[in-house]
Amino acid sequence: MLAYVIRRIFVSIPILIGSTILVFIMVKFSGDPLEPLKMRNPPAPRQTILNEEHRLGLDQPIHVQYLNWLKNLVLHGDFGPSVHSNTNIGHELGGRLVVSLRLVLISVLIALIFAVITGVVSAVKQYSATDYTFTFTGFLFLAMPTFWFAILLKSAAISYNQAIGTQTFFTIGDKSPFLTDDSAWGHVKDIAGHMILPTIVLGLVSYAAWSRFQRASMLEVLNSDYVRLARAKGLRPRRVLVRHALRTALIPLTTVTALDIAALLGSTIITERVFQWHGLGEFFLDSVGDHDANAMLGWLLISALIVILFNLVADLLYGVLDPRIRYE
Amino acid sequence: MRTAKRLAGAVAAAGVSLAVVAACGGGGSSDSGKTVSTSFADCATKPNDCNGGATKQGGTLTYAVEKKITGWNLNDAETNTADYVPVMTGITPQAFVVEPDFSVRLNDDLLDSAEQTSTSPQTIVYKIKKEAVWDDGTPISADDFTYAFQTRNSKDCKDCSPASASGYNIIKSVTGSDNGKTVTVVFDSPFPDWKALFDNLQPAHIAKQHGDLATSFKWFNETVPTFSGGPYKISDYQKDVSVTEVPNPKWYGKTKPKLDKLVFRIITDQSQEVPALQNNEVQVIYPQPDQDMVNQVKALAPNVQYSLGTGLTWEHFDLNLKNKFLADKPLRQAIFTALNRQEVIAKTIGQFVPGAKPLNNHNFKPSQDGYKDVVTSTGAGSGDVEKAKKVLTDAGYKGVGTALATPAGEPISLRVTYTASNPLRKATAELFQKQMQAIGLKIDVTPTQTLGPTLTKGDYDVILFAWIGQPFALQGAEQLWGSASDSNYGKWVNPKSDDLLKQATAQVDPKKATDLLNQANQVMADDYYVLPLFQKPTFLAAYSQFANIRDNATTSSPGYNNQEWGLRASAK
Repeated sequence: MLAYVIRRIFVSIPILIGSTILVFIMVKFSGDPLEPLKMRNPPAPRQTILNEEHRLGLDQPIHVQYLNWLKNLVLHGDFGPSVHSNTNIGHELGGRLVVSLRLVLISVLIALIFAVITGVVSAVKQYSATDYTFTFTGFLFLAMPTFWFAILLKSAAISYNQAIGTQTFFTIGDKSPFLTDDSAWGHVKDIAGHMILPTIVLGLVSYAAWSRFQRASMLEVLNSDYVRLARAKGLRPRRVLVRHALRTALIPLTTVTALDIAALLGSTIITERVFQWHGLGEFFLDSVGDHDANAMLGWLLISALIVILFNLVADLLYGVLDPRIRYE
Repeated sequence: MRTAKRLAGAVAAAGVSLAVVAACGGGGSSDSGKTVSTSFADCATKPNDCNGGATKQGGTLTYAVEKKITGWNLNDAETNTADYVPVMTGITPQAFVVEPDFSVRLNDDLLDSAEQTSTSPQTIVYKIKKEAVWDDGTPISADDFTYAFQTRNSKDCKDCSPASASGYNIIKSVTGSDNGKTVTVVFDSPFPDWKALFDNLQPAHIAKQHGDLATSFKWFNETVPTFSGGPYKISDYQKDVSVTEVPNPKWYGKTKPKLDKLVFRIITDQSQEVPALQNNEVQVIYPQPDQDMVNQVKALAPNVQYSLGTGLTWEHFDLNLKNKFLADKPLRQAIFTALNRQEVIAKTIGQFVPGAKPLNNHNFKPSQDGYKDVVTSTGAGSGDVEKAKKVLTDAGYKGVGTALATPAGEPISLRVTYTASNPLRKATAELFQKQMQAIGLKIDVTPTQTLGPTLTKGDYDVILFAWIGQPFALQGAEQLWGSASDSNYGKWVNPKSDDLLKQATAQVDPKKATDLLNQANQVMADDYYVLPLFQKPTFLAAYSQFANIRDNATTSSPGYNNQEWGLRASAK
């Protein structure tokens, strides 16, 4: 298995380099990062513009800029200068990865629990009122635009706060700038108050898709011969369901979840924007807006690494859950 | 003289009154015998005093800022953006303050006086208050003025990256006397906008501890300030989240801050500011308004009140004179004459700014003393289609009103370019296209993703964009309209205007300089090169329980008086 993992990692390197070249060229031709400076009124001094061009390496030919970036990254782990001189891209990405991961992992966990429960119940009670209700709800969540739902949820939370005269839910950020109740419980309440809304928004989209997967997968297993045999042997229904059917039915969902976590990390942009969480999604948007090539490349590298990592995890988990699969 | 001053004040007030719309019922109270306006309703007539009132000790106010803090040195090119000014205005003192009505007043907390004592060479003497000190007790002195001069003139410090060297680059010397409490500044050549200088002063004694000029200038940008020469000092900074300020115990000004905490909360998406306001996570917002936003805030009355005004940023149509068709003045005149600015306003900002009017000067705004209408007499922006047709017919154009062609019979087709993702500009460009149909001119509406390169490459025929105006109009005029300037994107060349602009910037008398600038402006307006449309609206919303917060669309920002902000004495 180790050899398989190493081989997969090595195969990814040329893909990574290729994608950085592509992104570098695209960002370079998308606009001038010094445009805001050059369009100042009154104008910025010529020397100021020259200094900035030199700092960002814009006075070098484009291929030299790329090679310098690659060299600094490989030799020194340096992502290069940002358009914002005080920003260390590496540190920034690290901090933001933590923020995004916190949001994604918690929403994934909650979505998974609900998806498995409703998927199984739907499958067991196929074509019942419960099944139809879960199916309707699932499709409703799938059809809802994230942005719209987030705004709606915010509005409902604000109405709730106003109705009960407290500030249970917060609409911006992942924590308050200061707390009137500085106790441990105060901190917990504050963090929870900030987390609930974005977690629901991000989790519901995944929940909707995963619950459909789980229902389909469970139905397939419940109708399989070995489950019929287990029932025929007189095993208790709960034991058949949990020990025999569910474990097998979880295999597709596990692989889908591993792949979706990577995709979710890249698609938190809307949720982070609406709730003002300063994660990877916002970093990407800012980098595009600033025409910050090095920042974009940093984001791309991190995102690509996450995709590769979770793809690998999905493959490996598949092997763990299904004993028939072996890696050579 | 007194009459002239009063008249100027009245004109300024009248100008602002046309531009400001405010919500909530008006109110007034007597504070120390003086009638004080206690809501935004009076911002129309009292822009510098509205929403006033006595305040009480305590409370926390959270103000939304729209950009993440990328640096702390407002004099640095990268950090010099309007969003950071409210954060830093309570920390770094400035020689002059620009009031909400765009008038300029001496910062009498910092200075006893600042006077021009000689016109040749132009000499300014600043007298710093004896009690003015940094928060570590070090006097604010001539050394701080010298540090500003050296780091911002682009000569003494080549590795500094100042946002602008304008004015500093023609200072001959900055000399301290009277234990550093008197500063004498001598200019090489006249600089009529001298009151724009020495804003955002930084402590020279702290700079000395952090290396040479370039190193310390950079250090100020990289480091969260623990120093203060203003009413507040920073007590906490959470990256990308907030800046918290508390009163500076060594503040020497006459008005002591009443708030316990002043928090600047970073919200980078404008559309999330109103929900945050509604949820009381912030108490003041200052976004670019649109109709939806105004309506949402209206619904929060009476707890929240708002002020809708006009700022220094102005939208305009520019023609590219390198275009072979637009090089011909009659065509330019016809285009601008057929353009109906009032209709454009009615269908764009007029929907949420009642009474919005076209702007008629390229350098001054209606509330500024120098404002003079240079556009109306030219007929530009009037929407007078018949006059536009006559101009074209007289000049020999063919297909007037149907399919416009040059006198030689070549069909004319032009592009109007606007910034993509800007719905207001898109609507304006489409209205332009529709209005030009009346004279038979075919217009293609083309968005641009990158305004800067489009302008610098001259890749447009007609373009719609905005300039951010300055309270000190002379600073930018030559740069924008001078024949040889890189920022004169449409390549309009006029020696008479160049000469007038040169004379204006060489004047030490502000009135003469203003007059010369307006003469140059009239020359440009008569040549139909750039047509101002309107001032972009500004929008400030705040909880009614806080007093003395008001719109200030200038470089001083609404934070210009933050030491006066506080909970109303009557608030529960």
